[in-house]
Amino acid sequence: MLGPVYLVPRQEAPLWLRASTFVGGIALGLLIAFGILIAYGVSAGQIVNEFIVFVFLDLNGLAQVVTASTPLVLVGLASAVALKLRFWNIGVEGQMWLGCIAATGVALFDIGPDLVRLPLMFVAAAVAGACWIGIPAFLKLRFRVNEIITSLLLTYVAYQLVQHLLFGAWHDPGSAFPNSQHYDEGTERLARLGWGSTHTGIWIAVGAGVLLWIVMTRARIGFYMDAIGANADAARAAGVPVVLTTALAAAMSGGLAGVAGAGLAAGQEYRMTLFIAGGYTFSGIVIAFIGRFRPIPVVVTAFVVGGVYTAGDTLKVFYQLPGAITTLIEAVILLSLVTVEFFSRYHLTYGVRERA
Amino acid sequence: MAADFVQNWLATTPGFATPFLLAALGLMINERAGVLNLGCEGMMLVGAMTGAVVSFHTGLAGAGVPVAMLAGALVALVFGIAVVVFRTDQVLTGLIIVAFGDGLTGVVGRPYMFEKVAGFRDLDLGPLSDIPWLGPILFQQDILVYAAAALAVAVWWGLDRSDVGLRLRAVGEDPATADIAGVNVQLFRLAAVVLGGALCGLAGAYLSLASSFVWTEHMVAGRGWIVIALVIFSGWRPGRAVIGALIFGGAEALIPRVQAMGFDVPIYLVGMLPYVLTLAVLIVPTILRGERSPAPSALLLNYLRQDRR
Repeated sequence: MLGPVYLVPRQEAPLWLRASTFVGGIALGLLIAFGILIAYGVSAGQIVNEFIVFVFLDLNGLAQVVTASTPLVLVGLASAVALKLRFWNIGVEGQMWLGCIAATGVALFDIGPDLVRLPLMFVAAAVAGACWIGIPAFLKLRFRVNEIITSLLLTYVAYQLVQHLLFGAWHDPGSAFPNSQHYDEGTERLARLGWGSTHTGIWIAVGAGVLLWIVMTRARIGFYMDAIGANADAARAAGVPVVLTTALAAAMSGGLAGVAGAGLAAGQEYRMTLFIAGGYTFSGIVIAFIGRFRPIPVVVTAFVVGGVYTAGDTLKVFYQLPGAITTLIEAVILLSLVTVEFFSRYHLTYGVRERA
Repeated sequence: MAADFVQNWLATTPGFATPFLLAALGLMINERAGVLNLGCEGMMLVGAMTGAVVSFHTGLAGAGVPVAMLAGALVALVFGIAVVVFRTDQVLTGLIIVAFGDGLTGVVGRPYMFEKVAGFRDLDLGPLSDIPWLGPILFQQDILVYAAAALAVAVWWGLDRSDVGLRLRAVGEDPATADIAGVNVQLFRLAAVVLGGALCGLAGAYLSLASSFVWTEHMVAGRGWIVIALVIFSGWRPGRAVIGALIFGGAEALIPRVQAMGFDVPIYLVGMLPYVLTLAVLIVPTILRGERSPAPSALLLNYLRQDRR
């Protein structure tokens, strides 16, 4: 381990190896997660029952999964489009909050005619989210300020702003809790699909996935994004507009996150609450990494993570497990995935090695 | 009234500065060895939770401290094994550790939420504490404040003056050269990560055992991220970390003071202060300094022996 072992990065690992480390890593993570759940008194049979039978083979369960997946698809795409370029947007929650604030502002003050109110809410949310990531993106591209910390800190700033509004000017006098007034029925709410609590937000999410897939695989900017993700310096030397492409990718990322926040408010809560965006940043990162930053796999992964969310909710209700269990499981699975991938990224050479 | 305000503010500042300082010293040890552990927030959460749980069961705050440090070190060991042995991406792994700490403390600490625990009270040093003005500021703090100050000196000496520190810095600046000189790069990095985790755990325990005497979910509230910026602000030097911690502690100490005085200011906008201040100290030096950063040269780069030049 620490002795005379040489690690040699593989230029290209064979497909079988990449596939088996991917599957093996996730399987190891699931195994540990199962261990945690069993330690908390959930039996193996119940786990299979909750995670597979109820979640994916039951119509009501599946409706819950679709509802839970709606924001997850969007935050997964938001993370993926930024991480593809190694731009660490870890302020997705902050952008969701800004999207939520913008949409709620449009709804509360009845901005625009009724007919276009809902689209206007989502456009405002996308713009607000894009502006919020615009601050770290500008600071990084102009002054090389590390975007990891700035984007994250802005999440806390956004949350203070949300509290400022919900405990103050936007507080619904008819509610004892810090909520905004409800959105108007018909004009400011996403329509239900008539299947559980699913709503038209899912079409926005899947549509965004398809659109992003077209952009990333068919448009020139997608090619630029590939080049920057592979090697930013080489891309710059080859004439790729690195700054512009990164700025656009960051804006897309923030915009998608803003839409996710607005979608939760307009599709599920019908108002702004203090709990809308909680915990989505890390889920987005998990989904983006498992989906390899590619839109279609990201959408698929988001549905699976939606299943974990749904099962987590059931466990919360029936086994009194805390909600944090979902975060813990996500962390364990991603950690084991990236660790096991070591075996497809390197091969080990023992003993003395002649220098090339 | 203004004098009272200033005195109260200055007297509470060291308590707010201590968790920043402790965690910053821990991260500094990591980073001088070339490893960036963004998981500070997660390790602080684990320290805060375990410290409170042990104190709750034993009734001894002193018993919570070593356990919190051990817990922080264990979480750091997970990070260290992934990053140092399995060469995972440091940024991603750090983010995972934040989520891991958040999830773990949310699950394990659930039954202990809002339970009052035994904690560290301010010391009464007799006549010293009674000195007007200086007494409350310098001599009415809890024991961990003084311990943190002593640790800052120890870390400074350890990093900048000792033999081990020289090797550790070599590992962070130029691991290939250190390797050739016979320093075990991976072992040094792993040890630095574990030590850093112990200090982050201690910083977390300070929050639950000396600041609030209670454990609540998410109670670290972004301080782990402020610490990461604080380390950059301090230019990776323990002495400046003390100054930085006092600035951030002072800013945070303003919030309850302003509330207590009953000033009519929007409290949640004042609550943005620590975060906005962090952004400012992160941005201004980067703009002024331009390309020349005092960061350890090999920070974030995982070392592969055959890559040495």
